[in-house]
Amino acid sequence: MIELRDVHMRFEEKNVLEGVSLNVQPQERLVIMGQSGSGKSTILRLILGILRPDSGSIFFKQFEINRLNRRKLQQVRQHIGMVYQYSALLSSLKVRENVALPDELSGGMRKRVALARGLVLEPELILLDEPSAGLDPVIASVVDELIISLTEKSKVTSITVTHEMESAFRIATRMAMLYEGKIIEEGEPEEFKESKNPVVAQFLSGSTEGPILEGTLDAIRKK
Amino acid sequence: MPGPLEVVEIERSFLREVGSVFWFIVNTFQETMERVQQRRAPFRAASFFRESVRAGVDSVPLVGLVCFFLGLTMALLTGYQLQRFGTERLIPGLVAIAFTRELGPLITGIMVAARIGAAFTAELGTMQVNEEVEAIEAMGIGPLRFLAAPRMLALFLLTPCLSTVSNLAAVFASSLVCKAYFSIAFPYFLDLVKDSLLIRDIITGILKSFMFGLLIASIACYRGLTVKGGAAGVGTNTTSSVVTAITTVIGFDTVYNVIYTNFYPV
Repeated sequence: MIELRDVHMRFEEKNVLEGVSLNVQPQERLVIMGQSGSGKSTILRLILGILRPDSGSIFFKQFEINRLNRRKLQQVRQHIGMVYQYSALLSSLKVRENVALPDELSGGMRKRVALARGLVLEPELILLDEPSAGLDPVIASVVDELIISLTEKSKVTSITVTHEMESAFRIATRMAMLYEGKIIEEGEPEEFKESKNPVVAQFLSGSTEGPILEGTLDAIRKK
Repeated sequence: MPGPLEVVEIERSFLREVGSVFWFIVNTFQETMERVQQRRAPFRAASFFRESVRAGVDSVPLVGLVCFFLGLTMALLTGYQLQRFGTERLIPGLVAIAFTRELGPLITGIMVAARIGAAFTAELGTMQVNEEVEAIEAMGIGPLRFLAAPRMLALFLLTPCLSTVSNLAAVFASSLVCKAYFSIAFPYFLDLVKDSLLIRDIITGILKSFMFGLLIASIACYRGLTVKGGAAGVGTNTTSSVVTAITTVIGFDTVYNVIYTNFYPV
C-alpha cells in the first residue's frame, strides 16, 4: 500500500534520511521508532507530500506521491489521515458546535479529537506522530487502545512514529528502527525484543551504555 | 552606509518579495476558482462573515474617529489661511476632494494595515507554528483558499466601505468647523461640496481602496503563512507585515496618482 524506495532527504547541512526503503501492507500497523530528530516525522510528511525528497520515490497505492501535482495531491490526501504530535486542532473551530473550544480541552481529549479528525473522512491510511507523547500512562493506554480498535474496525492501515516503547509494542503488528538516516532493523514486535543489533537493544532498554550517543555520558561525568 | 553589493542584494530581495506576493495572490485566486468550478464553496461563509465583521465593522469607530479629527484639523488650519484672502468658502471643496481622492483611502489603508494586517499575520503565523496549517493541508484542503481567501475577500470588499466612512467623518467634521468658525451654514456647505466634487474623484478613491484592501490582506496572509522559527518568527513577521503593507500602500498610491494625473491632468 505504501512504499518508500531509496529515499534521501537533507535539511540544509544535515542528511536526515539516507536511502530509506519501507513497504507497508494493507491493514498493517507499522511503528517506526528512533531517537528524537532521527527523521521519523519527516517520513510521515514525505508520505503526505508536504515535503519532497531529494531523491527516491514514495508510492501510495498506484500514485507516486512526489510526482503528483497540487490538485491530485489534495485528492490523494483525502485518503490519508494524520494525527499530529501536539494534535494541531484548529483553535478557531469548535469541537462539535457548542461543546468546547479546542483550547479548553486536556491533552488526552485533544488527542482523541485529533484521532477522530484523522478518521472522519474514512481514510485508507492513517499516520500518527507520537500519539501518546505528553499523556499520563493511563490516558496513553486509552489512546493506544483507541488506535488499535478504530484501525481494526475501519480496516485502516496505520504508520505510527514514536519513541515510547510501551506504546510502540502495544500498537505494532510490525516495527522498524530508524537510526542515522537508515532503517537498521525491521520485523515483528517479538523479533524486535530479541534483536541482536546493539543499537536496537540499547534503544529498547533505554541504557546509557551502547553505540547510541557513545561517549556522551563520559563527557558529562568528566565535566 | 550599504555598499554596492548590499544594495544589489536589497534590490534582489525586494523583487523576490514582490514576486512572491504576486504569485501568492495568483495561487489563492486559482485555488479558489478551481473549487468554484467544482460547484463547491471555496471556504466557509461563516469564516468570511467573521473576518468581515472583524476587519470592517469593528474598524468603523477607529477609522471614523481618526478621520473626524483629521477633517476638523484640516478645515481649521486651511480655513484660517484662506480667510486672509476671503476665500474660506473653498474649505468644503478642499476637504471633500482631499479626502475622497487621497486622504480617506490612504489613512484608511494605513489604519487597516496596522490593525487588521497585524492581526491576520499573527493569527496565521501562530497557526503555522502550531502545525494547524499543515494539518489543513494534510486533510486535502487547500490552505490558501481555506485561510487566505476569506480574509482577502473580506478586506477587498470592506476597505472601500471604511474609506467611505472616513470621507463622511472628515466632511462632517469640516462642516462643524465651517459653521462654528467661518459662518458657513450646513446647506450652503453641502452645495459647495457638491459643486466642487466630481464623480471621478469618488471613483478614483474607491478604486484605490479596493486595491489597498487586496494588497494589505495579501501581504498579511503571505507573511503569516510563511512564518518560521516559533513565537519569535510570529513577532518578526507581524512587524514586517505591517511595515511592508504600509510602505506598499503609500508606494502604490504614489504610482496610482502619477498614472492617474497623466490621464486626467485637471
